[in-house]
Amino acid sequence: MEKAVHLSTKAGPEVPGEPTKTGTSMVDSAAAAVQSFTPINQIHQHLCAFHFYAYDMTRQVEAHHFCGHINEDMRQCLIYDGPDANARLIGLEYIVTEKLFMTLPDEEKKLWHTHEWEVKGGFLFMPGVPELVQRQDLEKVAKTYGKTYHFWQVDLGHELPIGLPNIMAAVTRDGQLYPEMVKETEKKYGISIDKERESRAYMTGPEHGIHPLANGGGKGLKLEVREVDLKPVESVPRVFV
Amino acid sequence: MASSDKVPVPCPAISGEGNEPMGDPTKTTTAVLDKGTAMLQSMKPIKQMSLNMCSFACYSHDPGRHIEVHMYGHRVNQDFLQCAVYDSNSSKAHLIGIEYIVSEKVFESLSPDEQKLWHSHDYEIQMALLVTPRVPELVAKPELKNLAKSYGKFWCTWQIDRGDRLPLGVPSLMVSPQDVDLGRIKPELVKKRDEELGISTESLKPSREGICGPEKKNLIADYWVRFRKGVALDVVETDMKRTAPFP
Repeated sequence: MEKAVHLSTKAGPEVPGEPTKTGTSMVDSAAAAVQSFTPINQIHQHLCAFHFYAYDMTRQVEAHHFCGHINEDMRQCLIYDGPDANARLIGLEYIVTEKLFMTLPDEEKKLWHTHEWEVKGGFLFMPGVPELVQRQDLEKVAKTYGKTYHFWQVDLGHELPIGLPNIMAAVTRDGQLYPEMVKETEKKYGISIDKERESRAYMTGPEHGIHPLANGGGKGLKLEVREVDLKPVESVPRVFV
Repeated sequence: MASSDKVPVPCPAISGEGNEPMGDPTKTTTAVLDKGTAMLQSMKPIKQMSLNMCSFACYSHDPGRHIEVHMYGHRVNQDFLQCAVYDSNSSKAHLIGIEYIVSEKVFESLSPDEQKLWHSHDYEIQMALLVTPRVPELVAKPELKNLAKSYGKFWCTWQIDRGDRLPLGVPSLMVSPQDVDLGRIKPELVKKRDEELGISTESLKPSREGICGPEKKNLIADYWVRFRKGVALDVVETDMKRTAPFP
């Protein structure tokens, strides 16, 4: 079994480019002052968890989710590779309750992963929030399913978001995550995953148990690209006089 | 399995009643808990977003399908922006994807295979299809000039325009409006956008005169225009490389 180097938990390579020019940043400051950012203002929660590639468990990434509720049954999250101002926007995740998940066609269910072990195992947490308060929401998250795409392979040291999107998976049992990666995260955030696991023992996963088709149905999943011939333009019928 | 250019099998998310996302309204207790915990967290990455743009995009595998997009961008440096893309500017907006924007200099450093996935921005800026809501044109001009020379890569993860009430399927590669048949944005979409924002795209056009595209227009970007081929994604099952049993 291979061990990967965890670039994701170290300061990544700089995005190539010149520092922002004054003329440009003045526009951005003006914009920030007068524009409306309503959809972004719905984001109320920062969750930290680990993802791995749906076809390669050896490639693991610390993933910082910034989430908002669309409604009681659904959340949408922006995913960054860190919690700081210089974090890279690497992907997104949708989170749905079991109720919504069960309405999905079988082929769609495979693209979604469960959160039960991420939460009960203590691997998913809300930085800065007391554990007792976190648990009020996380006990709900434990019953949900998520669909995650990453667009930037920061774990490979990519300076830019090149290539195709990747479906991501979540931890479903002990032994999957690299212990040193988990320890580093514990140290950074001053948490103890083992301790929190004890406190979360009371939580339960989906009412109907983890659906067998979720988590890729146990298979690896990869996205491939295909060229498509475009429909010809509908031509205006000619009229001969 | 799922493909970005295929319609999903019937299910409540596409054949159900209504066009709101499926799910119950947010409970007050949830909203209160959310707001409470938000005060304890720093949310630094999303606070970096400082630029809102509204424009239009087309599906790479079906460029005649146009959507209105609302982008919230963080300018990382002079050559790179990362943007969250929504279908509206309201509190009920759906997160429909992510777009990355790079300068001409950075774009030219990409491999040809990678460049095929990117689109140019000059046409949509010159035609005032891309606007910066509430920012006067004169103030926005330096940024519009930068963006007109840039290239973008936009993956759309929720085909709202198809009526999907949940984000089904796999990401679609999106392309930009172009001055060719399928790439010219339907006037009724522009009208709807203009009414929503209280602007007039037509009357903004004169202020965009003199804004130039890239120094040397790349012939691989906007691949569909020259080669009449779009890009679709398929998901395939494969063996997962593992460190432990799964799931």
